[in-house]
Amino acid sequence: MKRRTFVSSSAALAAAGFALPASAASIKPYSWDLNPPTDTRDNFIAWGKARGEDPVFLGQRWDRFQALVRNKDIWGPATIRAFLLTPREEFASVNPAIHKRAYEHNFLDIGYGVTMSGPHLQGRMTNVIDVKRGEKVLEIGTGSGVQSAYIANLTENAYTIEIIAPLAQRTRALYDKLIDKGYTEYKHIKTKNADGYYGWEEAGPFDKIIVTCGIDHVPPPLLQQLKTGGLMVIPVGPPGAQRVLKVSKTQGADGSITTSREDIYGGKIVPFVPFTKLDGDKIAGTHNR
Amino acid sequence: MTVSVDLDNRPSLSFYLSVGLVAGSIIALQIGIMRVFSVGSWAHFGSLVVSLAMFGFGLTSAVMCVGKGWFERHWEGSIKGALLAFGPLMVVCNLAAQQVPFNAIFLISDPMQKWRLLANFVLYFLPFLAGALYLGVVFLKAQKTFNRVYFADLVGSGLCGLSVLLAMYFFRPDDLIMAPLLLWLAGGVLWFVSTGDRRGIAAIVGVAVLSAVVHYAAPPLLGIPKLAVSDYKGVSYARKFPDAVRTYERASPFGYLEVYSSSYLHFAPGQSDNAAFNLPKMPANAYLGLYIDSEGPSGIIKNLPDDETAYFKYLPMYYPYLLEKDPNTFVVQFGGGISTAVALKSGSRHVTVAEGNPALLTAFREDKGLRDFTGDVLNNPKVTVIDYDGRLYVAGTKNRYDVIDLSLADSAGLSSPGGFSIVEKYSYTREAMSAYMRALTPGGILSVTLWNKEEPPKSVLKLYATMATAARDVAKDKGAGGIAGNFYVVSSYLSTATVLYKRDGFTPEEIELLNAHTKAMSFDAIYYPGIKIDDSERAQILQDYRDQFFFAGTPPDPTAPSATEPNDKPPPGAPGATEVKDGAPPVARVPATVLGRLAWHYLIDGGWQEKIADDYVFDTRILTNHQPYFAAYIKVKDLLKFTDRLETVQDEWGYLLLWATLGIATVFALTLVLFPVVFGWRTIFSRYPGKFGTMIYFLCLGLGYIIVEVGMISHFILALSNATVSASVLITGMLVFSGIGSFYSERFLDRSRSFMPKVFLAIFLILTLYAFTIDYALDWIGTLPYALRIVLCLALLFPPAFLMGFPMPTAMTTLGRLGKDHMFLWAWGINGCFSVIGAALVPIVATSFGLPAVVLVGAIAYLVALPAFFSVLMPLERGRPAAA
Repeated sequence: MKRRTFVSSSAALAAAGFALPASAASIKPYSWDLNPPTDTRDNFIAWGKARGEDPVFLGQRWDRFQALVRNKDIWGPATIRAFLLTPREEFASVNPAIHKRAYEHNFLDIGYGVTMSGPHLQGRMTNVIDVKRGEKVLEIGTGSGVQSAYIANLTENAYTIEIIAPLAQRTRALYDKLIDKGYTEYKHIKTKNADGYYGWEEAGPFDKIIVTCGIDHVPPPLLQQLKTGGLMVIPVGPPGAQRVLKVSKTQGADGSITTSREDIYGGKIVPFVPFTKLDGDKIAGTHNR
Repeated sequence: MTVSVDLDNRPSLSFYLSVGLVAGSIIALQIGIMRVFSVGSWAHFGSLVVSLAMFGFGLTSAVMCVGKGWFERHWEGSIKGALLAFGPLMVVCNLAAQQVPFNAIFLISDPMQKWRLLANFVLYFLPFLAGALYLGVVFLKAQKTFNRVYFADLVGSGLCGLSVLLAMYFFRPDDLIMAPLLLWLAGGVLWFVSTGDRRGIAAIVGVAVLSAVVHYAAPPLLGIPKLAVSDYKGVSYARKFPDAVRTYERASPFGYLEVYSSSYLHFAPGQSDNAAFNLPKMPANAYLGLYIDSEGPSGIIKNLPDDETAYFKYLPMYYPYLLEKDPNTFVVQFGGGISTAVALKSGSRHVTVAEGNPALLTAFREDKGLRDFTGDVLNNPKVTVIDYDGRLYVAGTKNRYDVIDLSLADSAGLSSPGGFSIVEKYSYTREAMSAYMRALTPGGILSVTLWNKEEPPKSVLKLYATMATAARDVAKDKGAGGIAGNFYVVSSYLSTATVLYKRDGFTPEEIELLNAHTKAMSFDAIYYPGIKIDDSERAQILQDYRDQFFFAGTPPDPTAPSATEPNDKPPPGAPGATEVKDGAPPVARVPATVLGRLAWHYLIDGGWQEKIADDYVFDTRILTNHQPYFAAYIKVKDLLKFTDRLETVQDEWGYLLLWATLGIATVFALTLVLFPVVFGWRTIFSRYPGKFGTMIYFLCLGLGYIIVEVGMISHFILALSNATVSASVLITGMLVFSGIGSFYSERFLDRSRSFMPKVFLAIFLILTLYAFTIDYALDWIGTLPYALRIVLCLALLFPPAFLMGFPMPTAMTTLGRLGKDHMFLWAWGINGCFSVIGAALVPIVATSFGLPAVVLVGAIAYLVALPAFFSVLMPLERGRPAAA
């Protein structure tokens, strides 16, 4: 898309007050065979449009995807596919103030003192736990719902728990609405309003666990519900300055179970939050330059 | 209206009382707004807003300076209008500001937030403008007797500051605005009494009643909050838990304390992940959540039955009890009681526990619910409670302890979105650490646990360096050699770090025992005697940490493993892991852990400064009584480099905001000070000789006074243990004593040319002496009963504060008597503007150069004012009338 088109369609969308996406035409239902093109922006937008999505947001999704790949936040084909199939704008629509900012690198306010993490962090967390189809994945802290939306594109068995009741209800309702609209992949997500500290024992054990809430220790019930050989990721620190702790559960030769801690940057130090500069629809380096 | 007050001759007592009460109301409003910010959002943004709001004085001065004639003609109306507006503005602007709360964490990312912050500033600015207008016109009309009016102003401010402290017992933070409102009402009524204006009295009473009704009735009627607590404050989360119940609530100057119970609260600070496989279950509902000023939670632990305390073993504060059997234990800070519970359940024969916050002690001792829940721990026969700071007790006592514990003393240390405030942490200074070390029995152990949640690590490096330095101080006293045998250090990545110091050094058997425990907990050993360190990674790690913020090339691939550099090394013990041979360096999986080991290596063997500290991206200077800060990690030389990447240092925003405040304050101050100059350097001021010197004079007074006052607040926490009390004692003491000085200075007006230089010299000498010696006095005072401490602190304060009351009124009255009316107004504004700059400067000087430097800067300001005073004395040129 040319810059001028991009800008003018942005303006048109702004004029429409962003009431469009939620009530727009139905989406082509999900199947595991859906494969968004990754060759060019135009092809991707055309493909997404054909599925029934908004071209402006599709363009933003493509641009952010380029930034994610460039910054090595996502690299596996499955995660790339999940990112390209996930309409972040639908999950940001809960707060009109952030709706049009869905693809910014920033974390965004979704109410209840909860943020929707930025796409770079979520992309990295998703790719790091390397979910295989069929694996059971538990998320603690549903929040906006977008993290489980990525997982839903990777496995049929996504479980998510939210502690704040009204937020849990709101996001559940959003999933239902999106399923009705055609995003049937969200049928893969089982939601529950409960204290995530205790995990979801009936549904466990889990191959992977993603925790997204602040606590002063790793909840033992979650480590118990994590399969041996499994991975858990937990962001630590305030929103926007988070490091993500990766806990691996392994069994030693003597049969004893141990855990080890790393962070999802693989133990290496890397330039922090990758601020990709977008100049129109072009990526113009990073803010680290 | 007949005006019965003659401000230049003998104004009535009610006039002076009015000035004192309205001035006091302004101080009360400042303190009230600070409290509103502390509870609702972030204290350091409160400081920013209040500092800038004080420019109401600068703006009033500038406007009055230019429009002096108008104000002289309409002075009664101006005062009446300002008075009638001040009270309602307080209430309405405060309520309005609560409807546009801003979220500090989105300040950078959300363009709307800065407008919300601006709205807060503008709203809180308005009442100060009204208050300043009242004082400005009063000063203008009473310039020939300025000493007395200024006396009323200062004493009123000082005493009312103290009254707000007391008001905090009666009003919750959301109603604290009532304190300045009542003071304003009293001041207003007295004004109209002094002018004999009965309709004015009726009007102000009516307006006051209406304001109070609006404050109490409007929020419930309109469904708006009286005090909007940010969704991102700890207590907001607790309030959303479905089964949350507030079991305790108490407002006091020591903070707004709330305790919540909920099955959703879980605590086990720093707990080993291995607890999951070895503990059958965590004790349920074992904690209450403690919140002070909406911050928290800190865990209040239940009195657990013995069969549920197994998980204590998995907490880092359990370490000293591996070696010490049946110890006599000292817990430096009670907090929520976890350390005390661990000490009792780990076999301590006696536990002495200190707590410097009286509100906490009251809660635990008097509230039935809390007493039942904690098994009345503070009244346990095995427990002795010290009701002041542990570090002061330890420094003064002859008792010796087998275990001294300082664990996660402050809040739960979870995320602090919006940055950490710059807070004095005297419990962690070099002086405090060496006091703990000296208070150990020969075989005793000091155990200090700190949050290790920063990456790159910051606080823990400061802690390591501070403890090593303190140990060296102690070793030097004993004539002992090195400190290599005295430490054992472990950490858990993004969790906690624990430093053990054993006075007589650890034996090889003890090290073996501790290492086995560390392995069983899956913690990382950072240092022990005999640990081998591989230095080869040092340069690269330090460079990488710098690059994390200032990287200039193509980002490396952070995730995809390569054949030569596998990312996921198996943990020790797992198949394929590097075998840890005796003495071989343990396998480190994260750079922060490697850095910790390198840090200890160089701290023990020397070379810390040049090998680590100089090249590390953040400041790692030790905490001392002069610089007691776990804050200000950004090196000053890097400040500007961070301006385009503020998101990367969000936890430093409290510190960065200080620089922002200073910058904004300087621009504002210069604008306001120069405003009259631009309009009248050649007209209004053309007939005034010595105007530049006069400007310097009042600039120095503005800077000097506030710098000493604010700097002393930080110093006096040493003795008074509490920032709020220290601030109140200081504000009251300084202002009242200076007020007395102001009153007394009238006697020397005729000989000010010869007398004032002596005053300036005396102030300079006293402050310089205080800068270097007051800590020793305060340390001693801190061990005395609380009331006596306050009395002695006030006594210490009297000499400089009394003398610092002389320069301002002497010069102002001189200007008034010389007929330099414009200069009089301008001087008042300069003084006000530079007070704001001074207040912003204090924390920056303190974090960069230490608290003695702060007082020294104040001393120098008074020294510079000495020669400048002679400019003030220059008479108007003959034959050229001054009136514009």
